[in-house]
Amino acid sequence: MKNRLKVLRAERDWSQGDLAERLQVSRQSVNAIETGKYDPSLPLAFRIADLFGLPIEDIFLREG
Amino acid sequence: MAMDPAQRRYFGRMIPIAILYGFAVFFASLIIPDDAAATPLTIAVALVPALAVSGFIWAMGSYLTELTDEYVRLLEVRKALVATGLTLALASGWGILELFTDVPRVPLFFVFPVWCLGLAVGSLVNWMTMGAAKADA
Repeated sequence: MKNRLKVLRAERDWSQGDLAERLQVSRQSVNAIETGKYDPSLPLAFRIADLFGLPIEDIFLREG
Repeated sequence: MAMDPAQRRYFGRMIPIAILYGFAVFFASLIIPDDAAATPLTIAVALVPALAVSGFIWAMGSYLTELTDEYVRLLEVRKALVATGLTLALASGWGILELFTDVPRVPLFFVFPVWCLGLAVGSLVNWMTMGAAKADA
């Protein structure tokens, strides 16, 4: 699944480590989600959406 | 993020169990002669290291259930699946060889160490498929 995590993070000038700390996950998790290697669970996706103050569908995009 | 609390608990459990295991193996080899008969005493003494091995397995299982980072948990579960598959394949393959040929008999004791080696192979598979070796505990 594609996502806008890297752009949203860059807009706030956060490193992957900063975002990981805010989400209480490892930096590797943020990296895996950003690069599309791992799709987060729904609870984690909601935490990400809450953190950025956006609906989930504005962060995670359908393929194609 | 600092070390996951589950990782801290995992090491806090594994270290005393490993010490117990070392002492139990040393004690058992000290008091049980080679090829000793299976008496209640020898069985009881020999089962102490086995209990420690069960402790290792319990600590590993607890680690998986207590991990809060879902991606790290995924990596760990993948490692365990690779280790289980390899161990089953090797044990079955060697067992069939033992059945039909005169290859040396391998003690069942080695199943768990082989599974642990399989975890290392699992880390390699994670690294090759997800580039995630650094996330492995």
